[in-house]
Amino acid sequence: MTETVAAPEEAPEPVRRAGVGDVLLDVQDLRTYFHVMDGTVKAVDGVSFSIRKGGRLALVGESGCGKSVTALSIMRLIETPPGEFAGGKILFEGTDLLTMDDRHIRKVRGGEIAMIFQEPMTSLNPVMTVGDQIMEAILIHQGVNKKGAQEIALKALQDVGVADPKRRLKQYPHELSGGMRQRIMIAMALSCNPKLIIADEATTALDVTIQRQILELIKAIQERTGAALLLITHDLGVVAETVDDVAVMYAGRVVETGTVEEVLLHPRMPYTRGLLESIPSQGKRGQRLSAIKGTVPNPFRLPPGCKFEPRCPFGWETCVESEPELITIGRDRSARCWLNDKRFAGRLASYSAPPATEPR
Amino acid sequence: MASLVPPINGAMTEDLDPGGPDYDVQLESLGQWQIAWRRFRRHRMAMIGSALFFGMVIVGVVGPLILKYNYYNIPVPDVHVNAGRPPSLSHPFGETGRLQWDVLTLVVNGIRYSLLIGLIASAMGAVIGTIVGGVAGYFGGWTDTILMRIVDALLALPLLFVILVFTKFLGSGNWISVTIIFGLFEWLGIARLVRAVMLSLREEEYVDAARAAGISDRRIIFRHLVPNALSPIIVSTTLGVAGVIIGEAFISFLGFGVGFDTPTLGNILAGSLGFISQGNWWWAFFPGMAIVVIVLGINFMGDGLRDALDPRAKI
Repeated sequence: MTETVAAPEEAPEPVRRAGVGDVLLDVQDLRTYFHVMDGTVKAVDGVSFSIRKGGRLALVGESGCGKSVTALSIMRLIETPPGEFAGGKILFEGTDLLTMDDRHIRKVRGGEIAMIFQEPMTSLNPVMTVGDQIMEAILIHQGVNKKGAQEIALKALQDVGVADPKRRLKQYPHELSGGMRQRIMIAMALSCNPKLIIADEATTALDVTIQRQILELIKAIQERTGAALLLITHDLGVVAETVDDVAVMYAGRVVETGTVEEVLLHPRMPYTRGLLESIPSQGKRGQRLSAIKGTVPNPFRLPPGCKFEPRCPFGWETCVESEPELITIGRDRSARCWLNDKRFAGRLASYSAPPATEPR
Repeated sequence: MASLVPPINGAMTEDLDPGGPDYDVQLESLGQWQIAWRRFRRHRMAMIGSALFFGMVIVGVVGPLILKYNYYNIPVPDVHVNAGRPPSLSHPFGETGRLQWDVLTLVVNGIRYSLLIGLIASAMGAVIGTIVGGVAGYFGGWTDTILMRIVDALLALPLLFVILVFTKFLGSGNWISVTIIFGLFEWLGIARLVRAVMLSLREEEYVDAARAAGISDRRIIFRHLVPNALSPIIVSTTLGVAGVIIGEAFISFLGFGVGFDTPTLGNILAGSLGFISQGNWWWAFFPGMAIVVIVLGINFMGDGLRDALDPRAKI
């Protein structure tokens, strides 16, 4: 009896507001581990970032740095076991997604947060028509009948620039080109008016011209609907064109954050600089393309200090001995590198001094 | 209706879409089933098999309606002669010994019930097997281990003895209970098959995409994955019909299956047991041939389906 009385008091107070009121997604110290036969892979180890309502953030990093696992963790699509959420919180509008029950997380998936996957060729079911697949999510989240769902689907297809949407609804995925399929995926994602769109390497599998169209489309839709965008990519060119803020990841950690201009023009972490230098461009014609030497560290034998130190051209003893925190440099600007510690201001000066084309 | 996203340049849609007004090709691309049907039609053995099988189905469905005698109302002859009579014009398949029943009437009615038992039992097996295999393969882990160990345990039981025990409890001789018993054992193979297919299908990216769209596990299994696993299920179910028909004939012949009040090809053979030595070959030959034709037809058809539904096969 007492429980029934107490329940309504607790029910309307589920949210723990996270900082400022306009934060949509706040990932705090997320740790996603995988327990496999050889041990534990700490795929994501203490990642924090946040996205404002309508904001655009890119998560950048090499393959295996944990950016996709971060995205899948937000959607709670990590299979547990072997996966494990070892710590942290993912606050979406103040509610922790990691502790949400299955029924509610299904409402969030697709309805509140939509995800666009990497491979348009394989993320549509080959034996279902395009229409059935788009309408399925609409029927689940929107509470409309089949006719209403079809109208929403048609409008979504028009919005993503698919010509003759009526015919498309009846087609099977194998009848469509890669770019067209990615448009369908985007139509699916936005058909339920999500508050956050996660695009996980959404343009990587497409060729460059289509890539650009799709990026512009995602951006246009994001601006029109006011949804926030989390763009996951390894392509810094894509980053520069699409988002406002960047978080660079390395070995399961965020190593640098800031606005696009700051991070791309004045990287404060040698890893980010290495990434930027390895982009081929007109100005570097005739020169040897620089690459970050070495490879991503073995996840079972991470170095004790800075995880990037073995590959870092600027490292010194401090880096070998201990790992830096994310050092705040300015407003929303931080880097996980000892160079930014006040004690090493001299080294920072010499880091900043040489031009990007310094010979190695 | 204008697009709601005007800033995207209009040329883009034309670039991408081959179905624009200028060059509307309208390539009628064939669906998975159309391609399979086309291959199936070209498969000679499959067509022979289908003709045999569906011919027998027609005999089973239409035959009892147009025959001179009704199985339940075959006139009892005045003179009791123990030996049967060989095929003649009025009784093309001959007459049985003891009661002098028309063998043609027996066989046609037997075909009807044998097919009915085979089809119902395999359909039951397909449904149960798909559900169990689908759930086990999709969820994996403990669910998978428990369900598959149950399957292993049931497969380890000698079917014949289990059926003997079951028929004792479920009312011996009733054809419906025999059908259910076969159905309850038919699903084991299909469950294993579906599980194996599911294990690979669940790793597909569209499963992640469906989950990310908030679609429930149940819907993903039965709406997204089972249709992808349909080809092996169809082949296995088809071949299962033949298996059940033979199995039923076998246990009915031994006298533990369907009783004599319902004719099946098996219990007609059982009736002929003492009379073959007297030279009454027709009593055993015609029902035996019916079994052979049905089973052969199904097996040819199943092989054809396997070839037609395999996307990698080139025929």
